[in-house]
Amino acid sequence: MSHSGSRFAIVLTVLGCLITAGCIASARDKSFFGTTAPPRENVLRYVSGSEPETLDPQVTNLQNEARISIALFEGLAEYDPKTSEPVPALAERWVVNKDWSEVVFYLRHDGRFSNGDPITARDFAYSIRRGLAPEVGSRSASLAYPIKYAQAFNEGGVFVFDSNSKSFLLEKDFAEVPEPPKTEAPSSSPASLKPVELAPNTVPETEFHRFMQSPARLVLPGKEKARNAALDANPKLKAAVSGKELLPVLAEAVGVEAVDDYTLRISLMQPAPYILSLIPHQFFRAVHQPTIEKFGGRWTDADKIVTSGPFKLESWNHYDRIVVTREPHYWDAANVHLDKIIFYLLDSNTTMLSLYKSGGLDATYNHTVPSAWLDGIGPMKDFMDASEAAIDYYNFNTTKGPTKDVRVRKALNMSLDKQALADWRHVRPLMSFIPDGIFPGYPQRKGDPFDPEKAKSLLAEAGYHDASGKFDPQKFEASEIELIVNPDANNIAYAEFIQAQWKQNLGTTIPLRIMEGKTFFKAQAQLEYKGVSRTGWSADYLDPFTFLGIFYASANASGWWDAKYVELLDRANRTTDHQKRFELLAQAEQILLDAQPVIPMTVGTTRWMKKPYVKGLFPNPVTLHSWKAVYIERDPSKWDYGMPDMSK
Amino acid sequence: MLRFIIRRVVIIIPMLVIVISLTWVLVRLAPGNFYTGEKKLAAGIEANLREKYGLNKPWYVQYGKVLMNAARLDFGNSLKYEGQSVSQILWRGLPVSAAVGVSAYLIALIVGISTGALSALKQNSWIDYSSMTLAMLGISIPNFVLGPLLVLVFSLTLFWFPPALWDGFPSRSLVLPALTLSAIYISYIARLTRSGMLEIMRSDYIRTARAKGLSEGQVVMRHALRGSLLPVVSFSGPELAFLITGTVVVEKVFALPGLGNYFINACFNRDEPLIIGIVAFMSITVLAFNLLVDIAYGFIDPRIRYS
Repeated sequence: MSHSGSRFAIVLTVLGCLITAGCIASARDKSFFGTTAPPRENVLRYVSGSEPETLDPQVTNLQNEARISIALFEGLAEYDPKTSEPVPALAERWVVNKDWSEVVFYLRHDGRFSNGDPITARDFAYSIRRGLAPEVGSRSASLAYPIKYAQAFNEGGVFVFDSNSKSFLLEKDFAEVPEPPKTEAPSSSPASLKPVELAPNTVPETEFHRFMQSPARLVLPGKEKARNAALDANPKLKAAVSGKELLPVLAEAVGVEAVDDYTLRISLMQPAPYILSLIPHQFFRAVHQPTIEKFGGRWTDADKIVTSGPFKLESWNHYDRIVVTREPHYWDAANVHLDKIIFYLLDSNTTMLSLYKSGGLDATYNHTVPSAWLDGIGPMKDFMDASEAAIDYYNFNTTKGPTKDVRVRKALNMSLDKQALADWRHVRPLMSFIPDGIFPGYPQRKGDPFDPEKAKSLLAEAGYHDASGKFDPQKFEASEIELIVNPDANNIAYAEFIQAQWKQNLGTTIPLRIMEGKTFFKAQAQLEYKGVSRTGWSADYLDPFTFLGIFYASANASGWWDAKYVELLDRANRTTDHQKRFELLAQAEQILLDAQPVIPMTVGTTRWMKKPYVKGLFPNPVTLHSWKAVYIERDPSKWDYGMPDMSK
Repeated sequence: MLRFIIRRVVIIIPMLVIVISLTWVLVRLAPGNFYTGEKKLAAGIEANLREKYGLNKPWYVQYGKVLMNAARLDFGNSLKYEGQSVSQILWRGLPVSAAVGVSAYLIALIVGISTGALSALKQNSWIDYSSMTLAMLGISIPNFVLGPLLVLVFSLTLFWFPPALWDGFPSRSLVLPALTLSAIYISYIARLTRSGMLEIMRSDYIRTARAKGLSEGQVVMRHALRGSLLPVVSFSGPELAFLITGTVVVEKVFALPGLGNYFINACFNRDEPLIIGIVAFMSITVLAFNLLVDIAYGFIDPRIRYS
């Protein structure tokens, strides 16, 4: 036995030497994570996340698809590489009218599809109407709902036509609540979002435009069952509708009008100053009508697809990679630097960091560096980070159980040390609902500070006290509350921390329940949970309304709704003055913070990697990049040794 | 023999119906839908999607459609991936899974059988002890640990093989996944071969063969090895079916576009047609390989007869 043992030891020693030798061989520049040799070709190897559902930009609504859409399709506006604000792309400029009821886009004359066809205002009118068509089943159609009759068309609604008076029934005649006060007086200072200007209306008047400017028509549900329910609820409406003709809302009624080849006028249902930040979204990018009509659902196949962006599709190996190459017909082709982008379709952080380290990837997308690795990777020169327009918060179920009581909600919020949580997870604490540092000029609010003593007295006030009137953890029905999260390592870590904080600061153990993803989302959406549930929200567009709008409808994950809150939001959105609008939004936020339907937790940070030779990729707030600005720098003296300068 | 085969083929049909029905019920019982996500969709959008994919029809209509589709071996279109049919996805994922699976299988057979046989012949030697220790390790280290370990040594330290992704067949990207996948099979096969061999070497017909005056090499190769492979065949035959139809963990660790990866994502996505399609395909493959194994028995062991 001793004989065989010694042989075994020799084998082990040899293996050990091999590994050590490997380690020494790889000991290169330790200030970067892995190799720093640029690829030989003029190509960017990026990872775009999980397999896209489709390349059809209007159907999808997630970032993994947006990253590819930005390469293949162009919209009226594009994301600014550094600030992520909308900057001119296929539209050279745009003009907003005084009361925010319409936006006019002036298009470039040299926009071209990948088959050489010119891109005109008609293509955009088609693209938006098509995205709203019910049979397309777009996941992001609701982004266009501020456009006049867009929601009615997307939901298959009907207009009511009175054949006697030859007129349509109007919405205002049947409104259940009186119209809120009209527009704020426009102030003298111009709106601060840059390319926007308040200009006199120089666009020719058309019949369509008169239709858009006329009072809004009444829209009823197209499905008989839903319509009857709506009519039964409102006897006045029922009487008025009976015997009238019901006409379906058609695509032609949607408020997008090609005034001429290069002028697009968008009419809005209600003022929506945030719509400009939405325009770069993939939903609003230009698609090619003849191709879609010819091939139907298969139009995105590599041999059929016609695109409008700086790159064209070369191949799509499913679950593996999408390769795009430089598009010669693109209007700004001279300023596109890369010959090719390879998007690897994978979403495992460890796999992509291995690839990145070994030199198989040039950059990764946001949140790809796990918190546990930050101590090691954070100080490296190729680590990119920025505050993100994304927040983590917890909902209270305000419709039942102990969390119905606002004092309980406030107490549970105050007994959490968010700074400690943020320090541990390498993020920033969220003390209000709108993250600071994302929206310049927004008057920042402050939520309740960390104060366990105050929390205890609030709970005592809510009835959980002993004979002497002091808070008694025994009395608190902790079992009536649950903390639910989906099974994401990071979310679970948060939840465990929060659970421990409540234990430590209140002496009560609130059970933690980890639920499978889809089960979790359903329980949350339908308020089928007890107590507390986790949500992460990343901005759809760069405007505080993307966060505050979550509670605009009562169908939110907390069940909280306040008429005054909604009215303030409406007023804010009718306000053209940027700063005044922000102040109104901040007032609404204060109502939200006072009612505490949520526990604001942390502000996201973007955390991704970029090799020093990749230029033109910036740590912007949404981590969506305009690919045409990206290039490979071969001269090491011009590389990025740290985060690139964001000021220039 | 023929009757045996026909009987086994016919029984596949009711088994498939049961498998598909159970799968359908399980998918339906699972909460959520293919469009459920972190961001709740507007009610109108959800209604459009339900209409588009026929989810608002009565359950028996939907169930009937699933069975009809299965009967025609056409499982329809994926719900998640717009405009892609299930068969398209199956034929796309299968070659990748098969390439990795078959490579791993061959490695396992070659390494496993030779180590096992060697261990049995040199029973209680250092060869026997060390290879059986390694086999024990191979069984007890799960492949989601072994995979990253191999990546750490061969990709991130020695830079010999890529740590992930698929560059087609054959390529260097095949090596680490195939090795990771084969480890556990090498171990099982080595142990099965060894114990089978030890038993056979003591049996009467080996003594007879030796008495006939055959050389030791002939005894081992022609008689002992063949007999001792029976347990290996009954173990590895059905396993080949699983190897070919994709292995979730290894494909996930190495980000390979194989069936296993599709399958796990289809489950998370609640992509009903794709789940049913892959389950049906895997069932057919497993049933077919079981049948093949049963037939192969007859050829390997003359003592087995079919009645």
